[in-house]
Order: sequence, then C-alpha cells, then structure tokens
Amino acid sequence: MTDNTQTIGELIITRIFDAPRDLVFRCMIEPEHLTHFWGPVGVSTPIENITVDARPGGAFETIMVNDSDGAEYPSRGVFVEIVPPERLVWSEPDSGMTTTSTFVQLDDGRTEVRIHQTNVPEMFRSPEAQAGFKSSLDRFAAYLATITR
Amino acid sequence: MYWLNTCMPTALEDDLDTMFAALADRTRRAILAHLAEGDRTVNELAEPFAISLQAVSKHIQVLERAGLVSRGRERQSRPCHLEVDRLAPAADWISQHREIWNERFDKLQVHLDRLQSETKKDKR
Repeated sequence: MTDNTQTIGELIITRIFDAPRDLVFRCMIEPEHLTHFWGPVGVSTPIENITVDARPGGAFETIMVNDSDGAEYPSRGVFVEIVPPERLVWSEPDSGMTTTSTFVQLDDGRTEVRIHQTNVPEMFRSPEAQAGFKSSLDRFAAYLATITR
Repeated sequence: MYWLNTCMPTALEDDLDTMFAALADRTRRAILAHLAEGDRTVNELAEPFAISLQAVSKHIQVLERAGLVSRGRERQSRPCHLEVDRLAPAADWISQHREIWNERFDKLQVHLDRLQSETKKDKR
C-alpha cells in the first residue's frame, strides 16, 4: 500500500531490499555502513565525515566529498524520531527539509524502505494549511507529473 | 553536477519560496488548476467564485508577480496563461532528489549483499 500522492517540493521513493529489516535499518544509522552508500555516484562520504547521535534531538551530520575535485557538501540534520527498526525521521534546519524513512518487513524476508522528503516552508506545516494545500494541489501535481516525464 | 543545487541553498530555494507564497491562498490554487486545463479570461476565471471581478484580478496579479501566470496582449480580454516553465524548479527538485536516493539505494543493495555473503562465510 504505497501512497504516491505528491505535492510540489515533496518526494516519495520506495525500494525493496534483499535483506532483513534489522540490517537495513542499522545501515541507515551506523557510520560504518553509511560510508559505503551515502554519497550518490561520483561522491564519497568518508567515515570520519559522518556524525550519528541516534536519539531524538541528536545530530545526523555528513560531509560528502566530490571524487573528482574534492569539493565538500556538508549537511546538518537533527533526528526527530527513531523507532528501530521501523521508522526514522530527521530534519535539516538549513533547508527546512524533513525526511521520513519507513521500513517494512515483507513476507518473503525482504525489506521495503519508503522515503518521504519534504521542503515545504514552515508556514505551510500546520495541519489545516497542509490539508488545504494538498487537496487543491493534487490536480496540479498530477499535471506537473505529466510535463516532467 | 546535477545534484550540487540540492546541497546549497540557492536561487532554486528562492524560486520555491516565491512559488509557495503565491500558492498559499486557496483561490489562487483553484485559479491555477483551471489554467492547467487551458487559457482563460479573467471573466471566465471569476465565474466559479463568489467574489468580485476586482478581487479575482488582484489574485491574478499576485500569480503574475510570482511568474506563474502571464497575460496575453493580442485581445482586449487578455487571456491568462499558466507559465509551465516556472514549475521547472519544483520539478527539478523532485527529480534531483529522486536521483540521489536511487543511486544511494543501488550502492546500499551492493553493501547489503556483501555483508550477507560475509556472514554466510563466517558461519561455515
């Protein structure tokens, strides 16, 4: 049951991993694992560049390094919620972005990870504002999707 | 590199802020939804709303300032047009972040495979 309704500035992505849920969850919060995959293609994240304090209010900070020119891309996050091995939420004060990761154990032993990322500005975060914002933007977002494909 | 923008607050963020501010009003969102179906005159846009033509004109001015709507010059009615290109920053943001997570997850599966094959070897 994947909710693929998106609004502008919001991202939902799911992936099924051939691994048990406990292991996938640990990979997302332990630097010795994060260092192997956190940077996208052409970018590394050395283990000494990763700070994880896995509790609400704790730091989640990374500095990714461009493999070709050594340029550094720091990212400062704070954990909002940690429910091993089901749910992980962090926010990035600099960009206003919040990332929610949900881990679902499938019957066949695999694990589905769902990432929900938003950078909706602060003023739209109240439940009432969000409800109004989402309902009328659904059509708009659907239209947006047709022109980005 | 495509993902650089996502790491630094830039014009992209400003564009999104301006756009979100213009979209903060329910009537303006409804106006845009109508324009997504095709160009409309101010009169046509005002029809479904229980507000004055003048009020609708003001909303359209806000959308124009945000660059989301342009007005035609050729006819006296000056039909409103949705500026689809202005939506590009939002569309880019989505595709860039999707790309980052896809590449991350490709690497994560490789890492998980390696971890699990090492565990099997240890058990032997």
